[in-house]
Order: sequence, then structure tokens, then C-alpha cells
Amino acid sequence: MTTRRPIRLEALTIQFDERFQLNNINWQIEPDQHWVITGTNGAGKSALAAVLAGAGELVSGSLSGLPARVGVVSFEAQAELIEAERKKDDADILDVISEGTPVHEMLFKDCADPATARDLVARFKLEYLLDRAFRKLSTGESRKVMLIRALASKPDLLVLDEPFDGLDADTLAMLQQYLATLIETVPMVLVLNRFDEFPDFITDIAYVNQGELQLQVKRDDPRAYAELYQLLHLKTTQLAVPPADPETAIPALDPQQPLVRLKDVGIKYDDKALFSDLDWTINPNQHWQLSGPNGSGKTGLLSLITGDHPQCYVNDIFVFGFQRGSGESIWQIKQFIGYVSSALQWEYRVGTSLRNVIISGFYDSIGLYSKYSDRQRQIADQWLALLGMSHRADQPFNKLSYGDQRLLLIARAMVKHPPLLILDEPCLGLDDMNRQLVLALIEKICAGSETAVVYVNHHPEDRIEGIDNYLALNTPAPTQ
Amino acid sequence: MPNNYFNTLPLREQLEQLAKCRFMDISEFSDGVSALKGKKMVIIGCGAQGLNQGLNLRDSGLDVSYALRQAAITEKRQSWKNASENGFTVGTYEELVPTADIVLNLTPDKQHTSVVNAVMPLMKEGACLSYSHGFNIVEEGMKIREDLTVIMVAPKCPGSEVRAEYVRGFGVPTLIAVHEDNDPKGEGLALAKAYAVGTGGHKAGVLMSSFIAEVKSDLMGEQTILCGMLQTGSLLCFDKMIEEGIDAGYASKLIQFGWETVTEALKYGGVTNMLDRLSNPAKIKAFDLSEELKVIMRPLYNKHQDDIIDGTFSRTMMEDWANDDKNLLGWRAETAETAFEKTPAGDVEISEQEYFDHGILMVAMVKAGVELAFETMTAAGIVADSAYYESLHETPLIANTIARKKLYEMNATISDTAEYGCYLYNHACLPLLADFMKGIKSDVIGRGLPVDDNGVDNARLIEVNTALRSHPVEAIGAVLRGHMADMKKIV
Ligand SMILES: NC(=O)c1ccc[n+]([C@@H]2O[C@H](COP(=O)([O-])OP(=O)(O)OC[C@H]3O[C@@H](n4cnc5c(N)ncnc54)[C@H](OP(=O)(O)O)[C@@H]3O)[C@@H](O)[C@H]2O)c1
Repeated sequence: MTTRRPIRLEALTIQFDERFQLNNINWQIEPDQHWVITGTNGAGKSALAAVLAGAGELVSGSLSGLPARVGVVSFEAQAELIEAERKKDDADILDVISEGTPVHEMLFKDCADPATARDLVARFKLEYLLDRAFRKLSTGESRKVMLIRALASKPDLLVLDEPFDGLDADTLAMLQQYLATLIETVPMVLVLNRFDEFPDFITDIAYVNQGELQLQVKRDDPRAYAELYQLLHLKTTQLAVPPADPETAIPALDPQQPLVRLKDVGIKYDDKALFSDLDWTINPNQHWQLSGPNGSGKTGLLSLITGDHPQCYVNDIFVFGFQRGSGESIWQIKQFIGYVSSALQWEYRVGTSLRNVIISGFYDSIGLYSKYSDRQRQIADQWLALLGMSHRADQPFNKLSYGDQRLLLIARAMVKHPPLLILDEPCLGLDDMNRQLVLALIEKICAGSETAVVYVNHHPEDRIEGIDNYLALNTPAPTQ
Repeated sequence: MPNNYFNTLPLREQLEQLAKCRFMDISEFSDGVSALKGKKMVIIGCGAQGLNQGLNLRDSGLDVSYALRQAAITEKRQSWKNASENGFTVGTYEELVPTADIVLNLTPDKQHTSVVNAVMPLMKEGACLSYSHGFNIVEEGMKIREDLTVIMVAPKCPGSEVRAEYVRGFGVPTLIAVHEDNDPKGEGLALAKAYAVGTGGHKAGVLMSSFIAEVKSDLMGEQTILCGMLQTGSLLCFDKMIEEGIDAGYASKLIQFGWETVTEALKYGGVTNMLDRLSNPAKIKAFDLSEELKVIMRPLYNKHQDDIIDGTFSRTMMEDWANDDKNLLGWRAETAETAFEKTPAGDVEISEQEYFDHGILMVAMVKAGVELAFETMTAAGIVADSAYYESLHETPLIANTIARKKLYEMNATISDTAEYGCYLYNHACLPLLADFMKGIKSDVIGRGLPVDDNGVDNARLIEVNTALRSHPVEAIGAVLRGHMADMKKIV
């Protein structure tokens, strides 16, 4: 094995076409590492792999240490090859009908390592199609040919984009085993969607989202690995948000009325206004982002809506059909609201089980103090499945990681399908991974049609797709 | 001159009133707050109970405003700020009391006579007057106008808890009562139930009791186990540790936070659980110490209960009120000068388990105090449920206050009545335990038992475990905690 240099991508931005670009990629692949790139569809994982094969147009940053010989297998490369074959055909001016290039020629002409190629033909059981034209092969067959070409090219780097796709179980196992014999010889970068397909020799995982390399996780960090699994599960699972409980359904609201109407509202302490003269109307299924510097009163404003601020009784507040201060109870208000904040999480220092935390959302209580129905328990279990936490249903809440607690509280807030979901800095205090998790869950909720989301955040990078109304609070001028 | 109401009753009725206590079923509260809906509730005083009860009642959809004495309004005192900053209507007695359907007297007990005398003439015909403690009615014999309904709704927790638990969607255990001499329309119970729902109390358990049972048990609990025992125990344990050469900062910290830590175990599984936290030899040691303590202190507990029942306690305390609180203020100053109070907690790490292992004597004192208070109350005819709330249940709550700022904080948080009784207990108990303390060494307070041998005699261990588990406070505790169990697992 020759001494090799690491491959280094620094602040790299690469343009693919008008529609797609990879941004600010910082990544280093050591010679003894084997990576998986993962992410959702369209996240840019194939693009990142293709960069290693020289694709894309450099916009800024640098890329160094790429070896000369990179063995590539991907749908794009496969499509290109097939396209090239077809062009050859069209360009043929002779009367003879061309069959195109036969497979044996594709494999052995200019082959760097014919012995390996022969060995692999046997392993893939492809002898029967050596004489066929490459472009006549099925997708699965041509993919196998691609694999053999790449593996028999004496590569210094292997880039395999979804190499296991469409392979039957036996072939898959064979290929995995074969790749395992190469780990001392060549670094590998695999693009894979499914965690259960990650070969054992993988040392590192790169998570790509929206054209950015957002997370890098070591295989031997079990906690980060588990979280990444959960994130991918949330991002890719087709599960819809579990249903509401018909028994304890929230009373219907007049769809013509706004959910919330604040008129000239303000909060005052000792004659000092936190904010004043504010109007705000939230209509059904309208998503809002609320922003403002610390101390501008964001949380105060929200607590006027939720009824947690005592001055809600001296302001002109109309919520869910009630004019505040007309004899309604806060539980009549709270039933329409799902609410998540760091303060709630701090309050929620209970040793109760994960399942009970979700069920408590039906009762708007912190802790569970009521007998619940089987149906509610089922719904809670569905939420746990959605979050990838089914196996931990009976564990105590206060033993969960901070990020998992946040996810669970969002599920608690959503369990009753409230017309209004308030997320007060839901990403506060979360690391990258957990932020991604929380945002993924919120996006799922925003995509639904029955809940208006009020999202409080001042980190622009945490923008959520689907939010198109903005309210900004400013630091109030000190009043005398 | 005050006229003790309890002492005017025939024995038969005294016994009946003392024994009045029933744990109510949640289904009895199915009417919610409707008995108070649309009625005007005017709270007198906006302190710990006044503010927090008011916030809860308003959040339950009821109409709440505050009548404060003129000086509090003019000087914009804290009580005025509490009410107005929270968006309540505030007014004078003259402005608000005549409009009230129900007046909630939430001023300090010591002021009740003057407050009620000022408010009563302004109350409209047939209205309701409510208390959160029955001292004024029972011990001072306050006579309320015949047309007025008189009820009590007494949360068994400090005001801050009353609010915090409501916000969680829960409540605190609450005692309600109707003053039978003042229930002209027979609506007292309905009003008290609705009021308990409004504060969230019905979710945590409500005892239907009498003014008399509430006062006689409340006084007994607070002056003996709750405040008295913790104060005396703090002073004795601290001095002993210094005498034994233990670092003063360590000793101070072990006590200040030790009460809170060991009594936390009571919340979950009573006295048994608290002792189960100890190693086997330490458990047997704590048990033996507490048995000894119970023998020595039983006469003192009996005396406190007797003085409370026959009115001696309230009479002497009211004499001190009349004497400008000379005793109370003197004793308060004395407490501030004790070595424990003046030694700040050291900057040392003490693990949760170490508070048990090094605080065997403290565990023994809590056990002795809880059991004695419970036994004495039930022997005086108070029902076990009530005796449980007034002893074991409240001990961790009071211990929290010591963790915050030692005895100063405890005495500042509890009522003047409790504080007065606490000092009485302390003065009698210190000399009573002097001999006992001579035999105490740092193995049971400060250093822990030597760890070289953890062996115990099987038969003795079984004996101790059985004795612990079969005490009557454990039986009723298991039932009452069961009402909150499963539900309330707040750590
Ligand atoms: N603390 C507890 O844990 C607890 C538990 C259950 C029941 N309780 C009962 O609740 C009642 C209130 O206790 P608390 O602890 O809430 O008392 P607190 O915090 O001391 O509050 C008393 C309030 O009454 C006002 N006040 C004082 N003297 C007055 C007077 N002469 N006339 C009119 N208003 C006066 C004070 O305001 P200004 O001085 O500004 O006027 C203050 O707002 C008592 O009956 C007590 O036994 C207490």
C-alpha cells in the first residue's frame, strides 16, 4: 500500500446546474477511512460523491488530494455510459445494424486488472451475458458491469453511489464481503440511504442536507450514531402524523374567525413597558415566524395568548372564540394550543415515562394526573414510533437526552392536533444533530393542514419551509 | 377579650368536631366552579396565599378582585403591587366589600379580629366569609353575623406551591370546612367545594373537615415536628458536630441541606422509605435512637397537644400579641444568634446518599417527630388522614425552606403562630434532650458508622423492618399517597 494523502475539501462551493449547488463543504477523508454519505432524497449526497469524481464547477474554496484513479459507480455514470452507447449507434452511418459494444469489451478492453475482472464476473454470475451488447442489458445487469469495471480499475479511491440498489440478497452479501477485503487497499466512499445496509467496515458517516455537509459522525460513537439513525428515520419515513383522539376531540372553531386577535396589547412592569400597542391576528392554518432580540418580549407576547401571563386579563385579547376576562378558564384556552419552550422543558422535570409525557398532552398538564383511555395510549405509541422511540416507551423522561426531550415535548404538544402550535425557540440549546431532528419534525407538522404554527427563533439558518408570515419585535425604547 | 369557641362546646360536640374528617371522592366535585360562577369574589390581603389563590381562581374563570387596607394602597406596598401588576382590580374595603358575594380573608391570622371587624359591617346581607385557617373562629371565638355563611378552604401547602401545582394542571391537598353556626342557607359546602375546584385542590385530594379539627391539628403539627423538631434538631446536631471536631462549614451544610434530602424520601415512601435509604446497621441504629427519643419527648408532645386543645397555647400567644410581640421578637433575635445560623454552609461536596449516611441522628429525629406528632394527634381524637397531612406530608415542605436560608427562612415563611409555637417547643426540647445528646458521637452525626463491618443480626433486622412498616402513619400514608401516586412523580 503506497502512502497516500488525505482528500481535503475546504470551504468548497460547487455548482452543478442552475438548480443545484453544494455549499461551503468542509470535509477531510483520511486514507484509512471508509465513509458513508447519507441524507434524504435531493439533499445533495450524490452530488457530493460526484465531486470526488471530478463533477461540478468550482465556485469557491478548494479541493486537494484527489487521486488520479477514482472508481465510480452511480446512476448518473451508468446513464451517461448508456447514453454514450446510444449516440454511437445514431452516429453509425454504415448500413450494418450495430449491436453496440459487447459486455466483454466493456470489461476487458484497457482493463487495468483483468484477473479481478474475471474473478468478479464469476462472483456476479455474469458469464452468460459477456457477448451481449451493453445497452441491451437490464438496469441491474448494467449496474453489475459498472461495479466490475470500477473494482477492476486498480482505483486509488472508490466512490459507490447506492451500490446495493436492486441487488438480490445473495449478491448483496457477496458484494459486501468482497468490499470488506479491499479495506486495507483503497479508501471507499459509499452513498447509502438505509442504515441497515451500512457495511461493518464503515468508519465515518457524513450527513448531507440542503446542499450542505451538516453532520459528521464517527461509527464508534454509539450515541451520535443512534441519533443520526433517528434523524434519517424521521426525514425519510412515510408515516403521517398520528390521528387525534375522537373521544377528547377539541371543540370545533368557527373557521371564519381568527384563532387569535390581539388589539393594542402590551405588558408593563413598574410602569416600564416591555412592549406596547401591538396588533396581531393569527388565522387558521397560517404559519408565523416571530423574531426579535432578547428581552424584546417574544415570550411575554406568547404568554398573553396562552394565558400564562396574568396581564392577559387587562389586554384586549380574543382567542379561540373567547374574549379574555369574560369568565372563561385557562383550560378552555389551553385545549386549543400546543406549546413547547425551554421553560416548559425545565418545568417538566418529571420521572414519568415517555409514553405518559405524550399522553399528558391530551390533558394540558405537566405530569399525568388523569386516567387515560386505551385509545390515547395507542396514539401515544404511534407518536413514539414516528420518533423512532418505541423501544424506550417506558423509560423515564428525565433520563432522555436534551434533544430527545424536546422532540417528545413537540409530540406532546401535537398529540391533540391543536389548531395552534407555539414553538418558542424550539432549537435553543440543541446541538446540530438534534436541531436537525427537531426541524425535521416541525416541517412534517407545517406540511399538514390543520395546525397554525407560530415559530419563535432568531437563527436565520433554522428557517422552516412553509412559514410565510413574519412578526418582528424590537427592543422597546426605555419609557420614563 | 377573646372567647375560646372550642371551650364553649360540650365534650360530646368537641369530640365530634375533632373527629370530623373525610377524604372526598373526585366525583363530589363534578359541579366544578359553578356554585361561584358569576359571583364576585373579593380577597382581603394579597400576600402568599392571597395572590396565589387569586391567580388560580381567576384562571378558573372566576371574578376576583382585591380589597386592601388604605395604607397598603397609598404606600403602594408589595401587596398592592402583587395585585395590580397581575392585572386585578384593587380597591379599599369601602369600594369593594359591599359588592362581594364572597369575601376571602387571607390576611395574617394575628390580624383577623381587626380585619373581620372592619369588613363585616360592609358585607352585604347573605354573603359568604371564607378563611384559609380557622384560628380566628376557634381560638378567638370570633362571632360572625348570623346572615353570613362562613367556610374554610385551607391549602396544605405554601402559596407558591398552590400556584405552581395549578399551572402544571394539578393542585395541592386541601382541607375544607363549613362553620355550622354560620350556614344559614345551607350553601356553605357547595361554595367550599367550588372554591377548592377553583384553586385546583380537588385534583390532589380534599379533606372534608371542621374548623376545630383543622386548627387543633394544624397548630400541633407546625409547632412540633414541622418547625420545632427541625429547629431543635438543627441546633443540637450542629453543636455536637463542632464538639466532635468536625469542620464547621461541613456541619452547617450537612444540616442545612440534610433535612431537605432525607425528608424527600418521605414524600415517596414514608418513614419506611427514609430508613430504607440507610445501610442495615445504620437503619437499626437510627431506629434505636428514635425509640429513645420518642420516650424522652412524648411528654412534651402531649403537653403541646393539651395546651392546644384547652386553649392555653392560644391564650399565652395572644397575651404576647397584646404585649407587642415581646417574646416572639426576642426569640427570633435569639435564633439569629445561634452558632448554626451564623455559620455559612461550607463549599464542600456532599452526595445525596452521604446526607443519609452521615445524618443518622437527623433521620432518627424526623422519624421520632413524625410518629410522635401523628400518635399524639390521633390520641386526641383527630382522624388519621388529617394527622398525616399535618405531620409527615408537610415535613419536606418545611425542610425546603431551611435549605433555602436556614432557620431564618423557615421562620419567615411560616405564620407568626407557627413561629411562636416553634420557639416554645425549642425552649422545652433543648434541655429535655441534653442528657441524651451527651451519649451521641460523630458516628451518628457527621462522620457515619465505620464501614468495616456491615453485618447485622437477622432477627433484629426483621424486627426493625416490621416495626417500621406497621406504624399506623405508614398505612394511612400509603392510601393518601396512592391518590397522588402514578400521577405525581415530580422529582
Ligand atoms: N403560608 C401558608 O403556608 C399558609 C397555608 C395555608 C393557609 N394559610 C393561611 O392563609 C392566610 C394568609 O396567610 P399568608 O401566609 O398568605 O399571609 P401573608 O403572606 O403574610 O400575607 C398577608 C397579607 O395581608 C395583608 N395584611 C397584613 N396585615 C393586615 C391588616 N391588618 N389588615 C389588612 N391586611 C393586612 C398584607 O398586606 P399589607 O401588609 O401590604 O396590607 C399581606 O398582603 C392565613 O390565615 C394563614 O393561616 C397560610
